[in-house]
Amino acid sequence: MLQMVLQNSISGMAMGLLYGVIGIGVCLFWQTTGLINFAHISSAMLGAYFFYTFNVMWNFPIIIAFVLAVSLVALYGIVVLRGVVYKQIMGRKGGRLEFIVATMMLNIFLLNLVIVVWGGVPYPFPSIFGSPMNPLRIGRVAIQHHSLWVLAFTVALVIGLNYFFKRTLTGKALRATAQNKDTASLMGIGVGKMTALSFALSTGITAIAGILLAPIYFVSVELGGGIIGIKGFASAVIGGLTNPFGALVGGLLIGLAENFSVFYISSSYRDVITFVLLVFFLIARPQGLFKKM
Amino acid sequence: MRKYFKVLPLMVLVVTLLAGSVAGAQTIKFGLVAPFTGSGSILGDYIREAMMLAVDEINAAGGIEGRQIEVIVYDDEAAPATAINVVKRVIENDKVDVVFGPNMSSSVLAVHQVAADNETLMMVGATSPSLGYDRTGNPWLFRLRADDQVRVENQADYAVEVLGSKKPGIIYGTTDYCTSARDVIIARFAEHGIEPVAVEQMREGDVDATGQLLNMVRAGVDSIMGLTHESEAAVFVRQMRQMGVDVPIVGFTAWGVPAFTDLAPEAAKGVIAVQSFTPEDTNPVVQEFVQKYQARYGRLPSDPGQAYYDGVYAIKEVIERVGFDKHAMRQELENFSGYVGLQGELVTDEKHNLSRFSLISEFQGDGWKIIEKY
Repeated sequence: MLQMVLQNSISGMAMGLLYGVIGIGVCLFWQTTGLINFAHISSAMLGAYFFYTFNVMWNFPIIIAFVLAVSLVALYGIVVLRGVVYKQIMGRKGGRLEFIVATMMLNIFLLNLVIVVWGGVPYPFPSIFGSPMNPLRIGRVAIQHHSLWVLAFTVALVIGLNYFFKRTLTGKALRATAQNKDTASLMGIGVGKMTALSFALSTGITAIAGILLAPIYFVSVELGGGIIGIKGFASAVIGGLTNPFGALVGGLLIGLAENFSVFYISSSYRDVITFVLLVFFLIARPQGLFKKM
Repeated sequence: MRKYFKVLPLMVLVVTLLAGSVAGAQTIKFGLVAPFTGSGSILGDYIREAMMLAVDEINAAGGIEGRQIEVIVYDDEAAPATAINVVKRVIENDKVDVVFGPNMSSSVLAVHQVAADNETLMMVGATSPSLGYDRTGNPWLFRLRADDQVRVENQADYAVEVLGSKKPGIIYGTTDYCTSARDVIIARFAEHGIEPVAVEQMREGDVDATGQLLNMVRAGVDSIMGLTHESEAAVFVRQMRQMGVDVPIVGFTAWGVPAFTDLAPEAAKGVIAVQSFTPEDTNPVVQEFVQKYQARYGRLPSDPGQAYYDGVYAIKEVIERVGFDKHAMRQELENFSGYVGLQGELVTDEKHNLSRFSLISEFQGDGWKIIEKY
């Protein structure tokens, strides 16, 4: 029984890490723009599809495929998300609500674009993070090599972001721009450049998350249209929206709650628990688990 | 001069009708409604390719009773809302003689009444028991494959009679296709005096089944019945292998197609599945079809293509027997027998299924090995 509980915990944490990775991107965008991007999860889907195209279909080496895929999604962040959506709305003093609706529509557009270009059939992702058939075994508990990669990436990301925002001039300039664009501009910060950077950063990091998610989700439209985006958002809200570490903890909480609800209640309630947690936090602790980083 | 103007509309009408009847005499229109985008897009390609192979063969041999077959194809995106639009269009605007598809059970449930209202034959490959004539009461709806009732009962029988399972576990999805199969398999196990020890759900899009698997282990299952769609089947078997859960697994039709085995080729080894078709079938009729298909498309055919290939030939046979009158065709289809296709002899049963053919096969990594034929 103990082994079952351990296995369930580890699998729950592995899933939770994935939710957390998506949540980190939500936090990052909120921190740097003060907005919620509802097309956020599309960046993960595009990252996975671009990587699959370069690496599997065109046989580019993994590193080149990875860099190209992430760069292309970052470019999409600057050109489409910022250039077409954000600038148009902000140019005529549009509000946050308009941005939310516009990005929701952008998400649907990108989902359909992917279906048209790549088809709706899921593709198997190459085993670049270790064979899923030979997990690391501690006793009778199996741990996926892939989960260790995700753990390493998320820890590095959280530490890196913490350092970037607190210790570097560019990071501080980004935060200043998010807080007050006019004052930041008066301080000599290139607001346009900073906004472009924040769009590229959040979409690029989410693209990496998409590549990390693909071995589990396959290269499929589920990445962009499935429930993972909502769970990532819930992780960020539970964690406090302004703290990437909080998003990670929020994700772990959801992953564990889901798996234990299947184990002790019923598999039919797996997704319900995410929304129960989200509603609970929105009512009882809207500021989230952690304070602003 | 004025009297000419008076008869002009009448002349135009007569000429139009004549032109229409001349054109009608040259072709017979088939509509194909299948998913070419969306989650079921791979099925649409297999269906269209197999159907066009039959159509082109028939047209090359002079058509049906001298008429060439014209095919109008629509994409229903595997979505009932889209299916309603395209089925209405293909029946009411294009005025086809026979509609093939939709292929998704939920789409057929949404649209079959359109075929009944317009008295147009609808030949579907969807397999949910909900679509049987006993449930829909639609005299114009026919099914080209065995329904899931038949196949899932075979699945349960195989688990009990061949594998000797006494404590089966069930993993099922949430669509009508999966939940209907779950109800059928539980009822069939009950007929054997067996109650499944774990009945677990996996939502479409779920990528973790640890909790469900642990519940099955805790319940001491001695076999697992897979009743999910293809992607979830791949996730489930992969995690099953990772966690070292070592019991036989028997899946229903979604577990017997490349859309599943391509996603988890290693983990799927040893999976037993109920199938409607496999290109490994040594039946000479099937092998001839496989060779023609491969020569034309450069890949192997897959379920449910064979059902639509058979369907086109069944309609040809019907017309050759009773002519082009749709009521006579429907009547003939209702009592149809005597035509041998890829699925053996097609015989319409009381549920309007033209076939009860199914296979039990085991995936061996590079293909399927047939264990039983029903």
